[in-house]
Amino acid sequence: MGEMFCRVVVIGYGKATGNILKYIEKQRDIYGYRLEFIEHEFHALSVTKKICEEMGIPYANMPDKRELTEYLCDIQEKTLIVSASNNYLFPAACVEKENITIINFHNALLPDYPGRNAPSWVIYQGEQETGITWHYVTPGIDEGNIIIQKKCAIGPEEKAYELTERLMDLACEGFEESFAAVLEERAQTRPQEAGPGRRMYRSYEVPGDGVFALDEEPAAIYRLLRSVDYGKSAIFPPLRTVVDGVQAEVVRYRKIVPEKKKDEEHVLYLPLGEAHLLKIKYKEYRQE
Amino acid sequence: MEEKVLEILEEYCEEALSYDGDSMMEDGIIDSFTVINIVSELEEEFDIEIDAKYVVAENFKNKEAIIALVERLLEE
Repeated sequence: MGEMFCRVVVIGYGKATGNILKYIEKQRDIYGYRLEFIEHEFHALSVTKKICEEMGIPYANMPDKRELTEYLCDIQEKTLIVSASNNYLFPAACVEKENITIINFHNALLPDYPGRNAPSWVIYQGEQETGITWHYVTPGIDEGNIIIQKKCAIGPEEKAYELTERLMDLACEGFEESFAAVLEERAQTRPQEAGPGRRMYRSYEVPGDGVFALDEEPAAIYRLLRSVDYGKSAIFPPLRTVVDGVQAEVVRYRKIVPEKKKDEEHVLYLPLGEAHLLKIKYKEYRQE
Repeated sequence: MEEKVLEILEEYCEEALSYDGDSMMEDGIIDSFTVINIVSELEEEFDIEIDAKYVVAENFKNKEAIIALVERLLEE
């Protein structure tokens, strides 16, 4: 074993990042590294800053990409960067530094579904199974060698935010199982075996292009609705459709039993299987 | 209304009913995913739209804050 990592930098947001931070802090007594957290993206309900304050972990808010890149490129000591639920793409200048090793959590089973919003795409495509991947970061996006993967089934009613939460829990499990091996540089990795037609999912892409027609199969509409459902997080724009010749956008939706059907304005009911209805509340779409 | 809000909280986060602090998020009583579920149920139950600007820790700091939020939105 060569020189040990003397610094660990965590970048990310959300539940997985918080739990990973706590785990790394607990392991600090064993390995003696210096730990710090960088918040690059702000989230209204984030509690990672609070975790840092409570555990005495140095915290920095760096929303500016250039500032973050300069900060990381200036690191001189041997450092492990843990990228957990992080959308900042590490530039080659940083990735290729000899003293820096970066690992990233991707919320799908790479090499499938690289890029952004993977939980949405697996639901939209009707996949039965997905999972998480921890991998080393290379200059390409989601291309590095795989450290660990964990699989899970996708529930037939699962929404994007629910799947995301489960994947975050899986990511923590995978991290705890592999962190020591990564730190000690003895992780057994394997390269990704991506075919030539590998599709990269971009942040601007929306399942179904963000629209559906009311004569589509209701099960497919329901799948599309679930695939873009992150609650109030504006990851995707509201889905749109046409109701009585008027452009409309979805306000909310729900699978209900027929007894719950009510006469309401701006609400559609589509049959969903034999025993349910898909209730869709909508409003007129106005282009801003 | 209050009773309905408490029923929803009981379903998604029973601990919120007995919590008497002022930051359920920071105290680990609820997380952002639970908030999504609660918001979704409140919208459906009261036929209101809870804009993202209201989905902040302050409005979910305890059950009283959630009830107050719904009250405000129902009055709008």
